[in-house]
Formats: sequence, structure tokens, C-alpha cells
Amino acid sequence: MTKEMLEIIDNIVAAQGRTVDRVIPILQAIQTVFNYLPEDALARVCETTDISPSQICSVSTFYSQFRHEQVGNHIIHVCVGTACHVKGALLVYDAFRRELKLNDETDTDVDKLFTLNKVACLGCCTIAPVVQIDDITYGNVSSERIPEILADFLQQKNNPGEVSSLGKPANSIVKGEIRIGLGSCCVASGSAGVKEALEKTLNRNNINVNVKQVGCVGICNQVPMMEIQKEGEPPVIYTHIRPEEVRKIIGKHFKPDSFIDELRNRFYNFVENLAIEDVPVATQTFSPEKRDNPVTSFLNGQINIATEHRGEIKPLDYDEYERLGGFSALHKCLFESTPDDVINEVKKSGLRGRGGAGFPTGQKWELVKNVVSDTKYIICNGDEGDPGAFMDRMLLESYPFRIIEGMIIAAYAIGATQGYFYIRAEYKLAVKQISTALEICRKKNLLGKTVLGSSFSFDIFLFEGAGAFVCGEETALIASVEGKRGFPSLRPPYPSESGLWDKPTLINNTETFSMVSWIFRNGADAFNKSGTEKSKGTKVFALAGKIKRGGLIEVPMGTIIRQIVEDIGGGIAGGKLFKAVQIGGPSGGCIPASMADLPIDYESLTSAGAMMGSGGLVVLDETDCMVDIARYFLSFTQDQSCGKCTFCRIGTRKMLEILDRICSGQGKVGDIEALEQLAVKTHQGSLCGLGKSAPNPVLSTLKYYREEYEAHIQGKCPTGKCKEMIRYEIKDDCIGCTKCAQRCPSDAIEARPHELHVIDQEKCIKCDVCKQICPTGSVITI
Amino acid sequence: MVSLRINNIEVEVPDVTTVLKAAQIAGVDIPTLCFYESVPNHASCMVCAVKNKQTGAFIPSCEAKVQEGMDIDASSQEVIEFRKDALELLLSDHVGDCEAPCRISCPAFMDIPQMNRLIAKGDFSNALKIVKEEIALPMVLGYVCSAPCEAACRRKPMGGAVSVCMLKRIVALEGMSEDKPIEKKNKKVAVIGSGPAGLSAAYHLLKEGYDCEVFEKQSHVGGTLLTVSESQMPAQILTAEVEQLVKLGMVFHLNQEANPVLLIKDFDAVIVAVGENSIKTSLQIQPETYTTNTPGIFAGGSVIKPLKMAVKAVAQGKEAARAAMIYLQGNLLTEKSFFNSKFGKLKEEEHTEYLKESVDENRMEPARGFIAGFTHEEAISEAKRCLRCDCRKSQTCRLRNLSAIYQADQKKYNYGERKTIRKYFQHEILVYEPEKCIKCGLCIEIAAKNNALTGMAYIGRGFEMSVQVPFNKSMQDALVNAAQECIAACPTGALSDYKGEDNILPQISQINTDNTK
Repeated sequence: MTKEMLEIIDNIVAAQGRTVDRVIPILQAIQTVFNYLPEDALARVCETTDISPSQICSVSTFYSQFRHEQVGNHIIHVCVGTACHVKGALLVYDAFRRELKLNDETDTDVDKLFTLNKVACLGCCTIAPVVQIDDITYGNVSSERIPEILADFLQQKNNPGEVSSLGKPANSIVKGEIRIGLGSCCVASGSAGVKEALEKTLNRNNINVNVKQVGCVGICNQVPMMEIQKEGEPPVIYTHIRPEEVRKIIGKHFKPDSFIDELRNRFYNFVENLAIEDVPVATQTFSPEKRDNPVTSFLNGQINIATEHRGEIKPLDYDEYERLGGFSALHKCLFESTPDDVINEVKKSGLRGRGGAGFPTGQKWELVKNVVSDTKYIICNGDEGDPGAFMDRMLLESYPFRIIEGMIIAAYAIGATQGYFYIRAEYKLAVKQISTALEICRKKNLLGKTVLGSSFSFDIFLFEGAGAFVCGEETALIASVEGKRGFPSLRPPYPSESGLWDKPTLINNTETFSMVSWIFRNGADAFNKSGTEKSKGTKVFALAGKIKRGGLIEVPMGTIIRQIVEDIGGGIAGGKLFKAVQIGGPSGGCIPASMADLPIDYESLTSAGAMMGSGGLVVLDETDCMVDIARYFLSFTQDQSCGKCTFCRIGTRKMLEILDRICSGQGKVGDIEALEQLAVKTHQGSLCGLGKSAPNPVLSTLKYYREEYEAHIQGKCPTGKCKEMIRYEIKDDCIGCTKCAQRCPSDAIEARPHELHVIDQEKCIKCDVCKQICPTGSVITI
Repeated sequence: MVSLRINNIEVEVPDVTTVLKAAQIAGVDIPTLCFYESVPNHASCMVCAVKNKQTGAFIPSCEAKVQEGMDIDASSQEVIEFRKDALELLLSDHVGDCEAPCRISCPAFMDIPQMNRLIAKGDFSNALKIVKEEIALPMVLGYVCSAPCEAACRRKPMGGAVSVCMLKRIVALEGMSEDKPIEKKNKKVAVIGSGPAGLSAAYHLLKEGYDCEVFEKQSHVGGTLLTVSESQMPAQILTAEVEQLVKLGMVFHLNQEANPVLLIKDFDAVIVAVGENSIKTSLQIQPETYTTNTPGIFAGGSVIKPLKMAVKAVAQGKEAARAAMIYLQGNLLTEKSFFNSKFGKLKEEEHTEYLKESVDENRMEPARGFIAGFTHEEAISEAKRCLRCDCRKSQTCRLRNLSAIYQADQKKYNYGERKTIRKYFQHEILVYEPEKCIKCGLCIEIAAKNNALTGMAYIGRGFEMSVQVPFNKSMQDALVNAAQECIAACPTGALSDYKGEDNILPQISQINTDNTK
């Protein structure tokens, strides 16, 4: 080990601490420096801390975040989340492997330029399939576009665009406000570029407008989006903006402050002349006050509680949050209510845990409150590992103060002394927003000793989860904070009795905490007015898949599926038929279109074989194979199984093996029954929620789509999705343009200009490129 | 105190008691695999599962604490099926042989690897003892056995199968092991026929203390063995073998045709082993149980179905004798259920792993020719070629023993590609075979408790999770002083004593020394 390395490691240890629970932060810090975990570094950590070699190896190989091999200069993350999966993410992944000439052994190309990586979900489901190369995100990727994307990335890296430092001119009158969403989704769709162009335009033309970076606007399907608020004019929303279009849009609404500069003057004239004529083609503009446009339809039927002031507030603007009533709920609780009052109000609201199982929140708080202990903990579960869900991420990014306020109220109610945010490390922006917000709260004495001058002391720390779906399970999450592998433990004892460091611990989901302050500001009755008898209030969903408009939505409990799919989502895209919705991700199930009138609440979902889960809602159309969907989720859960219990570790693997067989045309008579039995046993024999719910996607598809399974056993995939069961052919109307032959990566098509092309089935690797590129749609799958 | 019901038995136990402990107090037996008292418990195998009748949930009794008013089902068919499922899932991911393929393919189930190991050590007498456990005519079979074991030998692709048959021969010829019947049972059994099946049946009965008389209608003992050519086996071999049997107390009635139905009046049991050419009696034979329609009369050998292999006849004679013994003890002696884990062919890359335990030599051909057979030295070096495919914990493995009790089927979930076998050694102390591991993590905990410097660690997660030495260090440094405790706690043969269970050998040596005195 070099002297420099030794020094780096020792500094990391000195900064992070030497106790066993510091292992994950230490590993994260090492990886930040080296991009992977050099073995020497880990050995050095063991020498200088209480951490043993057994612990460091166990922990570092458990969490997906950690890499033990050196990587290339750039890392390509191919998102294989649900929404991306149904839109062909695996074809994209395979295409990258081919393009980078990766063999089975390695994920890094020969030149050590790129390392290819699958990622469970980037949370950009509305622009699926998504690929992230370093910090640049590409949406709507297809296998045929890979060479172009790599070239584009390298070009961007080699010629970084000029970054201008911009500021507002002093002493001028503010003419209005431009709101631009900068949630992860928005950024992934190019909002950052739009923002940069906007600032440049405003600066060059001396236009003094407030540019407000709001959090997630929710309407992820329409981003990059900009809302222009100007006194005396109705607000206007622009969607799908490209950076080069910004100048024109601005010109339409604002005039430069001064006319001194000739150039600017000319520019102004130019803008005046052109921009008024129309708005650029790609961009669409809507007035939010008018009905019947995609934006208003999308927002219609939604109620914003967790997402209150969506698209209006700046996530880290403390004053604004306070102005809009922020922390008034906390004041009320701290100074006007006893902990029992607080708990009673939450009970009265009917709020239930939004993490999936729906345990009554007030009751949970009461359990922890009633345990006598000098130390109690509170944890906000933001370990959203569900592929196809991005609610927690958006809430954490957009409403950090709201969640913190909810946590402080809960802490006061139960008598907690310390709190933790457990947030996936992959959620960079969320981590950044929350840690900044925590810092601000400490300064404002909302955290720390004697909160707001009361006798209550409480502080919150941030723990970055290292990527393990099972850590959404509360006991596994606790193990992780304690510096262990995320093995769940047997309940009882429940965390409320013996949790973190064996102390009473309250764990609530991010969304649950984000609803608390609203309840106290508006009253429990206002909250329980919406929803159903047993499921009160609203639920946030990540709506994605084959619908026209996806995004983050918040609807009252009991809203029927059809309303979400057809009204909010705008129905199925591309004229296809609505087939099913997958609710609750790997723990949930598929609900067929025939049951579209099912109200969404905890009980009805469970009785239909699905589960609220964390709230991922992926819409499927007639081209989606339900056996493939079941296999997709099972491959996820079996990969995420912690490996502790026999039934989950081996049971899910065996189920996957049967499904692999069925999807590749190797299915045998009896396989369906064997699969069903194993699913039931895995449910019975698993100790934690992951294993118990892992069979749900299989059982629910077996329940509603058994005939699709049977068709596979008979050698046919009815939707043609299962790669091994289909073949590509070229129809007679081929015009002989040779495009397919030029792009075919396996030379399965010979170029014969102006003649009918033929696919050599022996050579065809079913990459789908020919089908995507064919200008006449002559390539079909059989 | 908490009161609860287990299998409808009321028990009262202290608050923090586990359901498993409470069951023990109630006198209810619950099996365990991953449970080990002296380290922190993390239930994982689910073999100790019981059903909580109120919630309908299956819970691991080793970790679940008792609760007031609990109603536990620990033995119903449903619970037993559940445990069997857990075992079958574990077995689908347990790559290893309990018994070596040679022993499984031997009709007489001779413990060939054990014999080989003793020969390799030069201990021919104890080797013979092992052979005679199952085989009545070791000298004869040392010449005429068709050796299905050699066809199954894992060594075959690595320079040829171990020359088992010829090794058995030298053991039979040179080993010193006199049989001595255990206590007299004072019961008389007649055996009709003195071919390989009849002699074998009579031998095993005599060893167990039964008096035994053999009826042979010909003038010579041996049946079909008399037809073996001199080039295959010298005639004096059969004579020598019969001498041994007479010494053990076998009584022969030559030139006497016997009728089992009449004999049963004078004997406690009769075994018919008259071969295929003899006159069939009016008896109806149940081949699976070696019984007939007349109680007390049993049958074995070619009389059931013509057998080409002498070893099969010898094996069937033994089985018929066993059936007779069960009958004579009033059916008190029940057949122990049997389980054997196996994994099929070795992969090419596994050859080196197996050769770690052996010598890289080709199959030995006896320099003096077939009839003369191996010299001492040749035998020792040939025996060293044995790969030790049998499990070092074939007797004490809890996974195996429970699989036998629960009649688990290893093949049930045996699809998908099997893992590749690896073997690691702590010099002459311990062997680690990760593919036999069921991931209970006991060794990790025990090493930590013993402050083992390196210890063991879970690597990876889910199905791919394995237990390995951290930083890929050698097994030599992993457990050190914790090795013995880990071996004892490991519920499978994943961690085993380098010397295997040969610690049962001192007892054998003891008997042998007594015999020679």
C-alpha cells in the first residue's frame, strides 16, 4: 500500500470514527476516493478500528453499492427498473455489452474506459428506458441508439460546455417569477440544461425575473417544464422544452431592462419579431387555468398533502416553508399539546403506515411511547429500493422540511432522543437536500438541545443506505445502521420494544412523516375526510409504464384504478390496449384491466392479490407478457434476498429457475403446479416481508393469467415478449434499403440492395435492432 | 412464568424461554440444524419450525420466545411436511456425496473408501474387518467380483478407477480378522443352498449369534462358485473361505435335499437360497422383503431372480438373513431409513480439487499378474489413489440424519446448474467444503467468540452467498483454535475433521487386538 493511500485511509477513519457501526460510512468514503474498495484499504481499516476482517468482508459484499474491482473511467448505469424493463431495458443492456465488446467475465471494456452496470431503478420511470453515464442521463433509449449515445457522451466529456456564472442585476424591479422543476427526473430529462440556458438568456438581456428552482413538479412526463408567473398575465406552463428554445420563450414574456447595448437591442428586436409568431414546435404550452390539456388532466383528481405546494416551493427555502405554515404544526404540538394529545390526533386521522403494510401510525407511536427507556430512537425509512417507485426520493428532494417536521413531532410524541434518516446513497440529491435542511434546522434550534426553547431535546442524523432492498424491512434496516449485514431478525421483539441498539425505536416511512404536519395544521378530520373506511387520506404513487402521462401523483385512498390510468395517466400510449397494472413492485401483484374499478386501498389490494407496497404503479399494455413480468420481479427478489432463511434463499431461486425454463420454451407439464406450490411454501417459510411477499407477483399472475403460463408450456409466448420463444423475420414489403444489414451486430442479414432481405436464424441474436431501424416496419416477430 | 400448550401438553416456563426449550420440557422432540447453544442465535434453516395454531404461522422454535397462551403444533403431518420441504430445499443446494459412489454401487454396500484408507495406512486387518461387515466371502469375491464399484469410481477419468476388487482380495488373504459371534441368541436357522447367497446368509446369522445349519443337495459346498474356472480363481480359495465359515460355527449337511416347509418345524427360521436351477418350491416369494407366504421362511439369491453377479447373491443372502433376524426378534429390530446425498458426475475443473486428497498416479497393474495380485507395497500405493469422495461426517451429519428421518428427496428441487465443488484444508486438522454448507453461520459466530484473528465471513448475499475466509486468506489461518468447536457445531459435512470419523476405528482395533490375544 502506498503512503498516500495509507494516509487517505487513516484520515477517513479519523473522520468517520472507529466503532463497529461506522463500517458502512467508512466503506462509502473509501469508495468515493478510489471508485472501488481496494483490499489493502479494507485491511488497513481493520487494523485501525474495532471492525474485524469478517465484518468488513461480510458487509462490503452484502450491499450492491460496493465494488471490489477497479472500474473504468466512466460508469454506465442501465436502469432495469420495472418501467424500463417493460420498455426493453435488457435489450439496451445487451446492446451495450456488444458495443463495448464485453465478455462474460467482465463488465469493463479493454480500454478501461467504461464499466457497465445494471441498476435497480434510477427513479426516472417516466422516460424509460433510462441510462446514466456518470452524471449524464439519457432517456427513451433503444438498443439501436447505443453507438450514438456513447459517441455523444464522449463528445460532451471532451468538450465541456462553457459554464457561465450568472447573477441577477442589482437594483432593478422584479418582473415576475419563472418556476423550473429540478427533481431528479427533471434533471434526467434535461432540466439542468434548460435552467442554464434560462439563466444565460436572462443575464444577457438584463431581464430581472425570479428564477425559482422548485422540487419535483410531479408531472414527470412533461418535463423539462417551466411555469411563467407574471403579474397581470395568466400563468403559462411550457412543457418538453429544449435549451435552445428557452431564448424564444423568454422573449415572448419579458423585455430587457435597458436598451443601451446595441447588441442586446438587436437581440431584443430579434426576439420581438420572431417569438411572438409562435412557440417552437417541440415545445407545448398550456395555461394551467384552462381545463382539458394534459397538464390539468394530470393534476385533476389529485389532492396534495404529502406533496402540498407541489411545483411552487423551493425545497431548501426555509423562510418560504415557514411562510406557508411550515413548523406551525410543530409549535402547536410542542407548546399546546401533550405527547398523548399528539398521538390521539394521529390516531383520529386514521393515518396508516405508507411503507406498505399499513400499520396504524398512531398505534405504532403509542407502542413506542409506552415503553419506558431513557433512550429511544426514531428512523425515517427512505430506503426505497423498489424498482419502479420514486415517491420517497421525490418527497425527500422536494419537501425536506416537511419530513423533518413530521419526524420532530413524532419524536416529541414518543419521547425519542435521536433520529436517523436512512436514505439510499444512490439518491444523491435527496441526501444533499436533507443534510442541508438538517443543518438549517439545527441553526434554527428546531433540532438540538431544548428545541425552540422547550424542554424537549432531539437531533437527527443521516445514514446513507448502501443498496439492499431488504433494508426496507425495519429489522434489516436497523442491522444496517448498526454496521451489520442487512439480515432481518425475528419479530417479536418488535423494534418498538427493542430496536436500534436494543432500544425502543419508531420506524416510519418517508411518506408517513410527510403527512404529519398537514394533519396538525388542518386537523385530523380534514385528513380522514378523504379516503375509504379503513384507509384514510391520500397515497402518493409513482405512475409509469405504458400510459401517456406518467409521474408522481397523490390521490385519495379509494381512487379507482381506471381513474388513475385513464384520467390522470391519459390512457395507454400508442393505441394499445390496457392489460394490467402492477402495484407494489416486487411485493405486490398484477391487477387485470377487468378489475379496473377496484378502489385502491390497503384491504382491497391485498384481497386482489396485490399489495400497496411502497406505491409503484406500472401500467402494462397488451404487448406485455405476464409470465415475463413475474420472472422479472422474481429475478429481482431472488437477487435481493439476504440469504438467511432457507425458503427465501433457495425457494425464490428455484421459482426463478422454473420461470426461466418456462420463458425460454423449456417448460414442462407440471412446472406450473410446482411453481405454485413453491410460491406458497416460500410465503409460509420466510421470516421477513421480502420473502413472504416475494411470491406475490407469481401468485397474482397465476391467478389472473394462468392461460399465458399454459401457452408457454405449449411452446408459445402469446405476446411475443419472451426472446427465446420468438424469431425475427422480414416481410415481403421490404424495400431492400440495407439498413438492417448494416446495423445487424451478428451479421445475420446479408445486404442485398433493392432485394428482399432475409434473417439467418442461426446467427440472429434477437437484439431487436433491425426491427427498430426498419423504415417500412417490415421486420416482425413470430 | 408463561404457560402454553405444545402438542396439547400444558407447560409453564420462564418468560424468555424459547419454544424449543419449552418443547423439551414438555417432552416433545423438535429437530434442529442451525441451532447451537453457545453462540447468538439467528434462526435460518427452518427445520425446527413449529406451527403457531392461533396465527397459522410457521415459526422457528429455536429462536421464537414463548408467549402466554400460545398453542403450538410441533408434530402434525403439516409440520412434518414443512420441515421436509425445508430439508429438500437445503439438499438441492448441498453438493456432496454422503457415501462414495463406489459404496452406493456395491450391491453389498461395502465401505470401500474406508477399506482403502486403512490399506493406505498398511492396516490390512482393520481393512478386512470393514470388508467383513458386509461381505461374507471376501476371498472369493476378491477374485470373481464383477466390481460395479470400479465402474462408478470417481477416479476413473483420472488415470483409471481404483483397483478395488484386487485390494479387497489382498485384505482378505493377508488381513487378520477372526470373526467372533456376539452373544448367543439360542435360536436355530436353517439355510438351504450353499451357493454365495446361502453362505452369505448363514455367515451374517452366525455373526449375530444365531445357530445356523446349511443344507446342500450336492456333495460340495459352493453352488455356482464351483463352476468358476481355475484361471479366474484357484480352487483352494473357496476351500479356504469355507474353512473360515466352519471355524465360525457353520454346520453343513451335504447331499441333503431339504424341504423348507418341513424344516420350519425344527428350526426357528428357514432361508431358501437354492439358486435358479434348483427346483422351485411351492413358496411364493416377496422379492422386496425377502419373505415368503409362510411365516419364518425367507428367500434370497437367484431363487428370486437369476443373478449374474456373485456379489449380488452375497448381498441378497445378507438381506434375507437380516429379514430373518427381524422376524426372530419379534419385529423389534426395525429397518433404519436411509438417505444418501449425491451429485452425479464430477466436472473437469473439480478433478484438481479431488486430487488434493490423493496421489497423481495411474491405476496400478499387479506386476506378478492377475492371479498373484498386488504385493503389499502395490496395494498401499493403489489404495492411496482413492479420492475420499465419501463424506467425513457420513455418520454424524445432522442434515443427513434428519433427511433420513423425514424421508427427504434430494431430487425434488434439483434443477438448475449445480455449484462447483471446492475443498480447503487446515493442515491435517480440518477440511472445508463450501458446497456442502447450508449457510447457518455458526462457524462465523464461533470464530468470533474465540477471537480467531481471521475467522470466517458471509460473502455476498442471497442464493450466491457463501461462507469464506475473509480477504481470500487461506483456511490455515481462519479458525485456528476454534476448529474443533466449529467441526462439532457444523450441522453438515462442510466443516469436518481431517481424520474424518475414523475415530470409530480405535474401537475396531480394540476388538481386533482382543481377538488376536
